Amino acid sequence: MGQWQFHTPVGVADLLPRECAAKRQVEQRLRDVFCRRGYQEIETPGIEFYDVYAAGSDTVPQEGLFKFFDEQGRILCLRYDGTVPAARVAATLCRDNPVPLRLAYIGNMYRYNEYGGGKQREFGQAGIELMGSDAPEADAEVIATAIEAALAVGIEDLQVSVGQVGFFHGLLAEWQIDGADAALLPQLIDSKQQVALDELAERLGLPDRARSVMRLMSQGLGSETELNELATLVRHPLALAALENLRAVLSILDDVQVRPYISVDLGMLQSLNYYTGVIFKGFTYGLGFPLFSGGRYDGLVRSFGRDLAATGFSMGTSLTLAALQRQGKTIGAWSRPVRLGYLPGQHKKALRTADSLRRDGLAVSCDPVESAAAWLAHNPDGPVLLVDARGEPVWLREVTTDA
Amino acid sequence: MLELTIALAKGRLADQAIDLLEAAGTDCRVVRAPSRKLILTDEQAGLRFIMAKPADVPTYVDYGAADIGIVGKDTLLEENRSLYEVLNLGFGACRMCVCGPENLAGRLDSIPNKRVATKYPNIARAYFEARRESVEIIRLNGSVELAPLVGLAEVIVDIVESGRTLRENGLAVLDTIASLSARMVVNRVSMKMKADRINPLIQAVRRQLDQAGRTAP
Repeated sequence: MGQWQFHTPVGVADLLPRECAAKRQVEQRLRDVFCRRGYQEIETPGIEFYDVYAAGSDTVPQEGLFKFFDEQGRILCLRYDGTVPAARVAATLCRDNPVPLRLAYIGNMYRYNEYGGGKQREFGQAGIELMGSDAPEADAEVIATAIEAALAVGIEDLQVSVGQVGFFHGLLAEWQIDGADAALLPQLIDSKQQVALDELAERLGLPDRARSVMRLMSQGLGSETELNELATLVRHPLALAALENLRAVLSILDDVQVRPYISVDLGMLQSLNYYTGVIFKGFTYGLGFPLFSGGRYDGLVRSFGRDLAATGFSMGTSLTLAALQRQGKTIGAWSRPVRLGYLPGQHKKALRTADSLRRDGLAVSCDPVESAAAWLAHNPDGPVLLVDARGEPVWLREVTTDA
Repeated sequence: MLELTIALAKGRLADQAIDLLEAAGTDCRVVRAPSRKLILTDEQAGLRFIMAKPADVPTYVDYGAADIGIVGKDTLLEENRSLYEVLNLGFGACRMCVCGPENLAGRLDSIPNKRVATKYPNIARAYFEARRESVEIIRLNGSVELAPLVGLAEVIVDIVESGRTLRENGLAVLDTIASLSARMVVNRVSMKMKADRINPLIQAVRRQLDQAGRTAP
């Protein structure tokens, strides 16, 4: 006899009616935003071959995957993210679809090594992928969609940092850095380790303007002026093209009036093997982690056999709920079902009353009077309706919606 | 005003951190007052101090329970969390070293499957993994120098300040893994959302450090 039958495994949790309703609300609003912009939802399996993630992405560590075997001994894993399966679909089943391809997904993801602080091993994510365009318009569209999505679920205090990893690749080429230092440098910039950066610059004998570039990057920019300053400090065409591309994206974001949410941060240098262009992260109060993140990943779909430039983002639905809760906000109203209780002999009348209420759009459950009485005593609120001895409906507690 | 939460590592590091913050113009009276409280709030200044175990400071900051943390680089290396490490505060300087009997110097890799005793299993593992050496990590909670003396391990990975404990126990530094000192770390979200409060604080502390650096002998 086991002792674990009362528990759920580490990193997963039950969602009770109130939280579950809130999560569905979040999902529905995101679905609406994606749908209105022409993103079509797909559902990929909860289980993939390990090879999909091994081939598809350098950023998925094998320790992060929940793994098991099929009957032929092949390694399977639980869905780790929405992007890699979407890339697989785009390159295989949707091979002949014209581009750009706009896909959306909403579902639970499973990560073995992420747990704690609002992060669970099973968590909800919603996201979109725009495949088949490398234009700045596509990058801007995805960023604007992410912002609209956050606003749609009630996250108003929003800060979006936008970077461009191509700029860093240009720097590596210009400063002729490779090997271990090429791996160390992005870590130091990304974690803003100014002193260690100065030491590295010293050791590599980099010119003063390189140090200025590192300082500007690690401090996180924000204004267009600093972007211009940066452009005067670099020479490599890759770096200059990246800045130009970033400017183009920012200019479109200005046109669609989401620029106030955005600051520039060229120091975001995580997942360098995966992202290839403009990247972004969305932050809000109450969460220690980004609410959403995304960017351009032009190499991924190619590893499934179709060369498609692509960009996308994903947003945590479970994280959204945590953020809303910590910000003291609720998503929409939560309406409890009407508990209808009927006196003996009135079942038929009760069913008729219930059906009529349901036609009006109410949720109604129907039980003998004892259950309704118990509900009235047990629950401080929630509507209760009695069908009395004459078969007449009597409201014991009226329908209200609360926040 | 948005409240700013600073996590301090209880002990000597916290005292030095408070001295520095005060010198940089932050009102730290609430932490100065003798108290056993673990959270000290200065409502007027919108400041909150958390007194945490050193090893827990990166955790508080990573999860956003604290916006800023002041903690030793040893703890940061061991915890390996995704934080902004904005300032090297200089104090608490020491080294993370591999130590063992003197006769092992220069031939560490000659022992297959070394046993390594340490309070810092992650740092030790990462060091030997980078050297492509397989090791057995034995996690201890203190007086790690004992391990090679009683045959529990061949070498240890530990903090070395003066090296006196090592010498008195017949051990020597075989390799230095990293130089350590206290750091100021910032949560990645706080850095964006509370930039108006955090950036001036960083700049004030940096100015103070520069000044102290110039006047030091």
